[in-house]
This record gives sequence, structure tokens and C-alpha cells, in this order.
Amino acid sequence: MPVRIATTHLEFEGQVYEQRVVLEGDEPPVWGPDAELSVVGTAAPRVDGRERVSGAAVYSHDVRLPGQLFAVGLRSPHAHARVVSVDVSRAETMPGIRLILTRFSDPNLIDPARKRAILGEELLFHGMEAAVVVAGTREQAHDALSAIDVTYEPLPFVVDPAVALRPDATHVETARTSNIASEDYPRTYERGDVEAGLRDAGAMVEVRFETPAALHNSMETHGAVASWDGRTMTVYSSTQDIYGARGQIASALGLQQNQVRVIKQYVGGGFGSKFGAHHAGLIAAYASKQLGRPVHYLLSREEENLAAGHRPASIQTYRLGATSDGALTALDLRAISNTGALGSWMSAVSLAAKELYLCPNVRTIDLPVRTNLGTQSAFRAPGVVEATAALEVAVDELAQALGMDPLEFRVKNHAPNNQLMDGRPYSTKTLLQAYATGAERIGWATRDDEARRFPRGRDGYLRRGVGMASQIWGGDGGPPAQAIAKLLPDGTAVILTGTQDIGTGTRTVLAQIAAEELHIPLAHVRVELGDTEYGVFSPASGGSMTLASVGPAVRMAAVRLRGELLEIVSHFTEAPVDALEVREGRVYARETGRDFGAIGEFLGQLDGHEISAKGMRGPNAEDVTNRTFGAQFAEVEVDIGTGQVRARKIVAVHDCGRVVNPLTLSSQMEGGIIQGLGFALMERRIVDERLGRVMNANLEGYKIPTIRDIPEIDVVMIGEANTRANTLGSLGAGEPPIIPTAGAIANAVAHALGKPVRRLPMTPDYILDLLGEP
Amino acid sequence: MRAFEHISTASAEEAIERLTENESGEARLIAGGTDLLTLMKADLAAPARLIDLKPASHLRGVKGHPGGSLQLGALTTLAEIERDATLASMYPILIQAIRDAATPQLRAMATMGGNLLQQYRCWYYRDGLRCWLAGGDECFARTGQNQYHAIFQQGPCVAAHPSDLAPALIALDATTTIQGQTGERETLVEDLLAAPAESRRVPHILGQHEVITRINIPASSATARGIYLKAMDRQAWSFALASVAARLTLEGNVVRAARLVLGGVANTPWRAHEAEAALMGQAITSELATQAATLAMQGAASLAFNGYKVRLARELTRRAILLTAGVEP
Repeated sequence: MPVRIATTHLEFEGQVYEQRVVLEGDEPPVWGPDAELSVVGTAAPRVDGRERVSGAAVYSHDVRLPGQLFAVGLRSPHAHARVVSVDVSRAETMPGIRLILTRFSDPNLIDPARKRAILGEELLFHGMEAAVVVAGTREQAHDALSAIDVTYEPLPFVVDPAVALRPDATHVETARTSNIASEDYPRTYERGDVEAGLRDAGAMVEVRFETPAALHNSMETHGAVASWDGRTMTVYSSTQDIYGARGQIASALGLQQNQVRVIKQYVGGGFGSKFGAHHAGLIAAYASKQLGRPVHYLLSREEENLAAGHRPASIQTYRLGATSDGALTALDLRAISNTGALGSWMSAVSLAAKELYLCPNVRTIDLPVRTNLGTQSAFRAPGVVEATAALEVAVDELAQALGMDPLEFRVKNHAPNNQLMDGRPYSTKTLLQAYATGAERIGWATRDDEARRFPRGRDGYLRRGVGMASQIWGGDGGPPAQAIAKLLPDGTAVILTGTQDIGTGTRTVLAQIAAEELHIPLAHVRVELGDTEYGVFSPASGGSMTLASVGPAVRMAAVRLRGELLEIVSHFTEAPVDALEVREGRVYARETGRDFGAIGEFLGQLDGHEISAKGMRGPNAEDVTNRTFGAQFAEVEVDIGTGQVRARKIVAVHDCGRVVNPLTLSSQMEGGIIQGLGFALMERRIVDERLGRVMNANLEGYKIPTIRDIPEIDVVMIGEANTRANTLGSLGAGEPPIIPTAGAIANAVAHALGKPVRRLPMTPDYILDLLGEP
Repeated sequence: MRAFEHISTASAEEAIERLTENESGEARLIAGGTDLLTLMKADLAAPARLIDLKPASHLRGVKGHPGGSLQLGALTTLAEIERDATLASMYPILIQAIRDAATPQLRAMATMGGNLLQQYRCWYYRDGLRCWLAGGDECFARTGQNQYHAIFQQGPCVAAHPSDLAPALIALDATTTIQGQTGERETLVEDLLAAPAESRRVPHILGQHEVITRINIPASSATARGIYLKAMDRQAWSFALASVAARLTLEGNVVRAARLVLGGVANTPWRAHEAEAALMGQAITSELATQAATLAMQGAASLAFNGYKVRLARELTRRAILLTAGVEP
């Protein structure tokens, strides 16, 4: 079949990339809103649920290969220091020690993403790798750490981004004369005239809002088991991007990409922090190549929380103006993001300001600042989670200044099309419907009722409040994404893709799509993924793009394979192809209903020969913008005596196009909301500024929500198939649910207390300080 | 964690014998291990020998006596106490404190005796810094991140006592029976727990060669009313930001005996003596509860980030007094 090369645009985590992709054949017509589907759209339980709950699923941590060694890192106790010398003579004679990596012995151990030595001369944060020990057991490696004598020369450091921005600030890295993340910053976006818009405003608010550094705390930490056999490097990497990991490892070790095989069958979470091999994976591969034995290096929870990335802390200062009848006239944002020691880019903190509301005059300034703390990474809707919280708090305050209902204000300032792309239309936008549905279900109309706000009366210590926030995000994915569908001699199917299931249910929904088009039972489909050896490229599982990218490729492969199947059946039955149909894995005559038998009966006659077909995701439409939209509404209860905030209910109304599986979708929604609730109420990395140390790099001091903290969650999906997005009509649902939760809770707390909220998380100490002495 | 020798023992006497053996390296007792293992994994403790008390089954279990006094074996787990329906009706403070402690998994392992001997959770100490508690000179928390630390200052260290059980036991006038080399002694829980001192940098006064064998609750405590209130920064699995155990003996509405013991605010559970005195002989009213709660905070000296605890602990105390007396706060 002839191939062609197409150019398409892919939006990933708020950035637009131009992609060239090889395409072959045509995609099937889109499943419209009225498509009659029997497997897609059903609440199928996870196809790998049994493996996951029984412990049979093998994660990178669990891999044990013959002769496997274990690596443990020695990490900087200083926020900033020079490694003057490393004496390993005591450590290397200890039992079981096989290899010790240091900056002196291993200057060529390179992080290709940053083009710098992993074990460098200058340590830039508490928790940065200073040396690595490889030993027969993890305990032997751990015991040797304290026998490595490192001479550090402590250097001045800075951990507060506001301080790091001062002209005379300490340099985060000696060789860099500025602490601004890169020469691309500060970056300003401007449309219209903000100052004029503020001058003309009938009401104006200024809000300075701070959000914390939040840790992903994936159940499975970063790292890998790597095994070099002299020709091929096989890496069981804890990654959400096996192809990205493969490229990095090949580059770091000077191998061809096809000499590296990356395997990841089950992922214990990633949330954006696992694009690539990560340092621990690169170190494992490097050590394995030196030793010729498998090396296991997966981070401890403490290493993970010091060095494996986080959502950067932000300081956002908004100025908003509106006419006295409530039309936005100006939106001005200065956003500082604390990107850590090596953070060179700024996440999309300004996206909501630019696109969420209709506003002619907008200016945003992105100011990412480096500090002597661990480096940031993407975290589920990077930038937009913290941006939405702050912007939506400011919007509520502007509505209040105008004496307007905050929801009415949002309806009035609804943006009908994409202001970032000269008014290009959205393929669908159901945000107004989300507002109406959510308002109905939370009881917005009665939110100011005395009995509701004061459940113990005006003199009692409880206050309740209701707040809401909007959600805008991408999620349309795009090419390149491939799939191969095969029918086996017994009539069951295998789908091969190079994607990953990072816990979202990818295996299950891809199986549903294949079963739908092959017309065979779901139980007859097996989905293989997470292995570069299949040679079927898929993108990273991130940016809410997996389903919308890989799903259409699987569908196309299944459609083509069904065509091949019918040709074969036609050959054996001598019935024309269009007179045949497949239902539930059996072939029937379309007219008479005659049963020709199970498809395995035909495939079994091929002497073990299997049939297969390829599918690939086609280009995105260039004349519309595909977005996911939604709104969340929160009801909270605040104890004004103790400062404790409890969420009572979250209503989440979202549009992600066609829902392939309501069960995996509700898991995504609930997970995102719970993570958003943690961000709103308790999660916060705490740093001692005098010592430059993170104090809570563990699950005791860094609080994530427990089951008791989780309120009633009411999820409503209001979308139907988006016929402009892709042949499924589906958009991604991974990131949307975390985006508005914290803003909705913050606005509910402000409503309950009648006081403006200025930071997250809203912990008891903050709430009591906010309330002041009674 | 460093390699160690594991020694099983069948009784407190045998354990003491093993503790006093003239072997090289430190020997430590282990029961549930929920605290000691975390210290060992962080290299904060590296005993050469662990003397395991768990086989001493006679140190496990609850004995009730006519009249209501109670003996709790030191090896009884928190979960076993929690499940005891009789205790729940007679000693609500105890059960409420246990239900708010840690997690079900931890409560299934953690023992009553071990709970009283647990080390502080201060994150500077647990992070391996050589702070005063770890044998150094400086308390980093005093001038650092101290939002979880003490508001009543008792010495060089500002760590807050982490136990939920201890304030409850002190409010119940509980004692511990301690087995030593030369015999038994009985000590109030209130006296067992003491602010660490220059030569004894642990939060208790138990000797190196002593074992807690039981906890005793007097009969008089069973008839009183009590409550345990705890504030956390989430709904479970957190040490107290502040907590209070309150017990009142009432005649009608008039207070004949009062115990108010705060957790999470000092090196030890903090007995609010002035507040207790203010309640004596008085009828409980909203004003009296507020007045007593204010007295309970007398002498508080908060640090840079824990000023909120004063207000929090005062409010919990006020509510506890009212709730114990059956008044809605």
C-alpha cells in the first residue's frame, strides 16, 4: 500500500508541535453520535483487573533476573555544594560491592535530555546524586553509602524564587549568571491594550495567589531494571513513554535505538513525571553495560520525593477589570514558577488567562525561576491546575466587587471561540451546559440560604460554602500512533501497540474498540503494549492523548482486518464478501442468517498462518480547535474553631466527547478530583530555607488524601461524539478532572468564610491565620 | 537498616536478663516494632541485638476486676483494645484515642507499652540531622519549620509528644507496672513520660534494663465521663496537630474531679492543672468552659509557625469540657 507523509499539529501539555507523520491507507468514517455500538460505551471491567489486584502484574520493582545486582544512590545532603573529592576505598572492599560510580570515575554518564553529566562536580540541590553503589543486595549497597567519604565544599544557595529573582541573588549554579530558567524568559503574551482595559474598567481586583510545590507520589517510584547481553540493552523502565526512554538510553550509551528494548507492562502511576528513562534508568543501564549483569535501580520514596520531579510552586499576580455590567475589559497576569535547579521551561500557567474567558485585552508574563531544589516535571495538566485555582479565585472576587453572581459573571464572559488562534471555532463547546448542569446538581440557587451556610446557627462554629471553577484543556492527541491487529488460528485477536497503560485502563478501552470492529467478544481480544520490540510506535501516555491517538489506530487496524477475514471466509464459503457478516465471533449470511460457523473454523484452516492488518492515526483537522471543557462545583464545611476544611460534595461536569468505557472514565474523574482535593487542602512540599532541605520527602509529612477525606463525588459527562476530533469521537479524560477542583474548593471556602483565600493548601494553620483572633 | 541478632524471649525477666548480658553493641527491646523499625530503617537506631518480647504471651491481654479497675498487658495491641466492647462503654476516652491513632494496619501491630515509649516524629531528627535530640547541640526546629512542634517549652528540644494514647491514659490516672532487675515498681504514666534531658535524650524515664509489663487503670476512672478530641490536617493517619483528653466526675452539673490533658503541644502530654482547678466545684457553663480553656493555654510560648496551635488547642479544650458535661459546644 502506498505511503504518504503528512504535516499535522499536535498540542501537548499546552504547547503546539508540528509533526511529520507517515500515513498509509484511509481511516474508517467517524463514529457519529448515532453510531450503533455494542462494546464501545459499555462499562466493561478492566481486562487486567485480576492481575492488578492479585499481585500477578509485574512492575519494574518486581523484576528479578538471574545474576541481578542492586543500585542505591548517595545523595547530596547540601542544597548547593562542590564535590571536592570522593574516597571509595573503604566502601569498595565491603561485602557484595560490585561498582561505585562517582564524578571522577564516570564523567561520561550523561543525561541526554539536559546534555550534562549525571554525577557532576556541582551539586545543585538536597537529594541530587553524588555517587551510586551497585552491590549484590540492596542492603549491601545501602551499608556502603556511609563508607563513601565525600568531601563537599558547601556553596551559598537560594530556595525562595522571589529571592532568586533579585539582581544580587545567589547563583543557583555557579556557571549561570541568571537564575531565570532560560534565555527564552521572561516571556510576554499580549493582545489588545491591558492598561487601557484596566483604565476603562468599572471594577477591578488585584489578587496575589500562591500555590505549593506538589509531589506526584506515584505508587511506583522511578527507575528501571536494565540488562545488557552484549548486543541488546533490555530495560524494564518505570516510564509512561517507552519510546522516549529508548531514545534517551540509546543516546546516553552511544547505542542505536534498535539496540535498546524498553518494556513496561504495568505502570504504577506517572502523572506526567515519567516521560523518558529518568536518571535512575540511565544509571541502571550504564552500570549493566559496565558489569554485564542486570542492575535494578528503583528509587526509595525519599529519593523519589527529593529528585523525581514535582508540580512547581507558583506565585501568580492577577489584575482583572470589568465594565460595571460585568464584561471583562482586562486580564493581566505575572506568573512566577519555581522550576527547581535544572528547570528550563515554564508550564502553561498563563493558558487559562489567555483562553478561558472572553477578553479583548490580555497580557501574561511567564517568569520561571531556578532555585536550589529538585527540578520540576510535568504533573497532570501542568501549569493549568495552579493557574485555574488562582484565576478562578480572582474571577469570583471580581464578580463580588461588581455585586454579580460568580456563575452569571462566567456566563456573561463565555468565550465562543479560540482567542489564541484568531477566533478559530471550537469543534464543540458545552461549557455553558456544564455550568447549568453543575449549578442544578450542587444547589447553586440556595447557596446563600442561612440554614445552609450556618448549620449550627450564626453563633456555631461551622460554616458551609459553595464554589465552582471552570476547566479548559486539550486532549485531542494526534499522529503518529500505530496499531497492528491480528487474528489467531483459534479466532481470538491480538492487538499490538507501543503505548503504555499507566493505570488509566488503556488495555481495556483498546480491547473494546477492537472487539467492536472485529465483531468478536471482548474476552477474545488481548491487547499487548508497553514493549518497543513490537515495532508499533505509539506516543507517550501523557497530555490526555492516549485514547484519542492510539484508539483510532486500533480501530482502523481492526476494520481492515475484518475486511481480510471476510475475504478468507468468502473463499471457503464461496459466498460474496458483502453477503457475509460477523456477529459475536461467528460468520453468518447477511440475508438468510445462515450460520457458517465460528471464525476460528476458517482461520484454523490456514495451517497456522495468521492474518494481520495495520492501522494509523490520521492527521488532526486544521480548521477547528478541539478542547475538553467542564466545570466543577464544591460544597465545603469549615470549622472556624479548628481551621479544618472538609469537602462535602464535588459535582464534576465534563465533556470529553464519546465515552468508550464509563467505568474507567469515572475512575479517571474520581482520581483527578481526589488529587485536586489534596492540592487544595493538604499537599505541600515543605522546605527549611535556612538549611535548604526538604523536610517532608515522605508519606508521613507530605499528606495525600485518605479515604476519609474524600467527599461524595457526582460525575456527569455531557458530551457526545466529537466528529471533528478523530474517528472515535473521543477526547482524553486524564487531565481535565484535576484542573478545576482546587479552584472550586477555594471559592467554596471563601464563600463559607466571607474572606478571600490567597494560597493553597488551605490547611488548618492557614485558615486560622486567615480568620484572625475571634 | 543494619544487620542485627534477633532473640526471642518468653518473659520480662528473661528479657531483662538478655538486656543486661555483657555483649558488645546495643540491645533494644522490640514488641510491635512500629516505631523501632522506622528508626532502624533511617539508621537512627542500629542495635546489635533485638530482644523480642512478643512470645511473652502472658504480657498480652486485658484483665478486668470487680469494681472496674483494669490491667492491660503491655503487649496488648491497640487493635485488641479497640475491639473490646466492654472497654468502649467504660473507657470511651481510651477507645476514641485509639481509633484516631495511626492506621488499622499499624494498630494491629502496635502495642500499648510501645506506644508510651515511642520516639518523637520531629522531621529534623527523623531526617538524620545531628540535632540536640540526636546527641548534637542545636535544635533545628526551634528556628526552622516548626508548625508541628511544641507550644509549651520544656527544654532544649521542641518536639511534640506524638501519642494519642498517652493523654488518654493520663486523664484516666493510669499507671504502668515496670519490671526491673530487682523487682517491680508502679509509676504514673504522667511521670513515666518526661521531657528529654541532657543525659537522657528520650521522652521517658524508663531505665535501660527495665520493661513495662502492664498498664493499670484505677476503678475510680471508670465511672467518670470522658472524651478525646484530636485535630489533624486530614481525617486519618496523622499525628495530632493538637488533641485533648478530658475526664470529669460530675455530681449533677457540678464538677468534683477534672482531668484535662493535651497532646501534640509539648515534649510530654500536657496536663492543664490551672484549668482543672478552675472547674472544680463549679457547674459547667459555656463561659466556664471558655475560661478554663483560656487558662489551659497559660504559659504557651509558640514558635514562628505554630501560633495557630494555641487557638486550636484552646478550642479543643473548650469543646471537650462542654461535650463531657453533655453540653453542645
